[in-house]
Amino acid sequence: MTQLPTDKKEAETKDRNRLALRRMFLGRIVRSLSVSFWVMVIAFLMIRLSPGDPVRIALGAEATEAAVTEMRHKLGLDTSIFSQFYHYFTGIFHGDLGMSFFSGLSVTNVVGTHLPVTLMIIGLSIGLGIILAIPIALFVALSKHQLATYLFRAFTSVSLALPGFFLALVGLLFFGTTLNWAPAAGYTGAFPGNLHFLWLPAVVNCGSLVPVLSRVLHSSLMDTLDEEFVETGVIRGVRKIRFYWSYMLRPSLAPTVVLLSYMVGVMIGGTVIMETIFSLPGIGRELITAVDSRDYPVVQGVVMIFGLIVVFFSFIGDLLGYLLDRRVTLS
Amino acid sequence: MSNAKTKKKRQIREGSFGLYAGFGMMGLLILAGLIVPLISKYDPNQPGLVPMSPPDGKTFFGTDLLGRDVFTRVFDAVFIDLGTALVGVSIPLIVGTIIGTLLGISKNKKINTLVGSIIDGINAFPFLIFVIALIAFIGPGVKSIILALSLVNWARYARIARTRAVVVNQQGYVEAARILGFSKVRILFKHIIPNVSSETRAYALSDFIIVIIAVAALSFLGMGSPPPQAEWGAMIRDGAQILTLAWWPTIFPGLALCWAGVSVAFIAEGLQRRLREVNTK
Repeated sequence: MTQLPTDKKEAETKDRNRLALRRMFLGRIVRSLSVSFWVMVIAFLMIRLSPGDPVRIALGAEATEAAVTEMRHKLGLDTSIFSQFYHYFTGIFHGDLGMSFFSGLSVTNVVGTHLPVTLMIIGLSIGLGIILAIPIALFVALSKHQLATYLFRAFTSVSLALPGFFLALVGLLFFGTTLNWAPAAGYTGAFPGNLHFLWLPAVVNCGSLVPVLSRVLHSSLMDTLDEEFVETGVIRGVRKIRFYWSYMLRPSLAPTVVLLSYMVGVMIGGTVIMETIFSLPGIGRELITAVDSRDYPVVQGVVMIFGLIVVFFSFIGDLLGYLLDRRVTLS
Repeated sequence: MSNAKTKKKRQIREGSFGLYAGFGMMGLLILAGLIVPLISKYDPNQPGLVPMSPPDGKTFFGTDLLGRDVFTRVFDAVFIDLGTALVGVSIPLIVGTIIGTLLGISKNKKINTLVGSIIDGINAFPFLIFVIALIAFIGPGVKSIILALSLVNWARYARIARTRAVVVNQQGYVEAARILGFSKVRILFKHIIPNVSSETRAYALSDFIIVIIAVAALSFLGMGSPPPQAEWGAMIRDGAQILTLAWWPTIFPGLALCWAGVSVAFIAEGLQRRLREVNTK
């Protein structure tokens, strides 16, 4: 049997697509690795910003000369900067991020204990954000009234300009004391029970997440609505749910997904403040405590981990965005 | 045809409405920041009134835990809050635009890759976390906040400027200036940077909102100026400890902060709309 020429052509495009995917995948990995490397370098160099001797500042004015020298030696600060970086760099791959100045715990230990709570809050915020943003964007995009778009723009830009930590306090005042729905302290870790403590922080995070997500989704929905296939869907009388998903959302999701991965970094910043306000035992509260007590290794380690998390998520986001919409051109 | 014209007109008016509202709100806040501390009977930092007394005819916003007038303190803080944010946006805007432009037009590949990697590295960190960490090393205070904001944010501006500079550098008018034999410095400052900075300045305006909030958030976390100084974030921090007993020392500075943020948001939105109108004309 001879193959039809169209089949051959199709196979060729398929091959080219696969090649493009592989190339983009490899390129992204290389880029992410190089950014990760620089994240480590910057986190490593940060300690050099402190005016004066970090060890002396951390140990306090009354520390003896011998104690300072011993601490310096323990931290390897008495060697050259390159050998320090080598130690630090190889340590990371062994899961060694240094020791806390004060608690005697390893930084890996601190991160391992407290990171899950933070990730849980971020996950909850993102989940809630998606659930809220999709219907809002769909409603505004499909609404015939000019007023809906206008109000949508006004509300989203006001919501973005409100400080999360203040909203959290207002929420705490209202739900915590007046209604007694949200506790301000006494976090317990078990899964369904801890939602009682986490719902308000997640809602406050959504105050900045939902406007951003719904705006981007709205504008890509408007672009999709101009496409001819949407009209085909209407004419063919596709069932409502299938129409919303396959004809409108699916082709519009790519920019939102890429943005979502970027928003992880913003969420981390917001979550740190939420943890302080609601006294949740997350990594953010640990960071603030470490900043107050000048526990440099903990600050350094936490910041680096957050940097790597952001790099990882933007890699995943780019990949998903590409898979959802092959037309995305990668810079 | 005429329909499209009126539609365009209406859109301009809509954009202008936001613009006027934003400038009006900001103007009122600045005016109050100028006048209230001058004419107020109370010293913003001097305790002496009945502590935690609710708002009434004499103290409009009540008094805080130490017996200071919240009304006077809220408006005494206007300039330190807005000023810190303004400087904290301007320095990275200028530095980032210049560095980014130079990278965009330079032909040295090694420096380009190196600085480009550093920029990507800095941008990878979550903004607020990085600023907090830098303040941990530099030490607290307004100057540290500005320094930390500058060290973090220049990279975002540089990234925008670099992309834009590559495009601008290939434009006809730059080429023409080169053929006319203008000096490199003159071409850079008169032809390239103005066209690059239109983009970075637009970003700076939306960044201003984030930075106003970030400055207050940092003071809220105890990294701002030392105690007696009235500052919204620090006032909210002090108020939060007695939130269940007295809401006014927390809510009023918070509302002032929201007011500032929303006014800048309106200005930014209005300008963006107007810019879009001008571009599509």
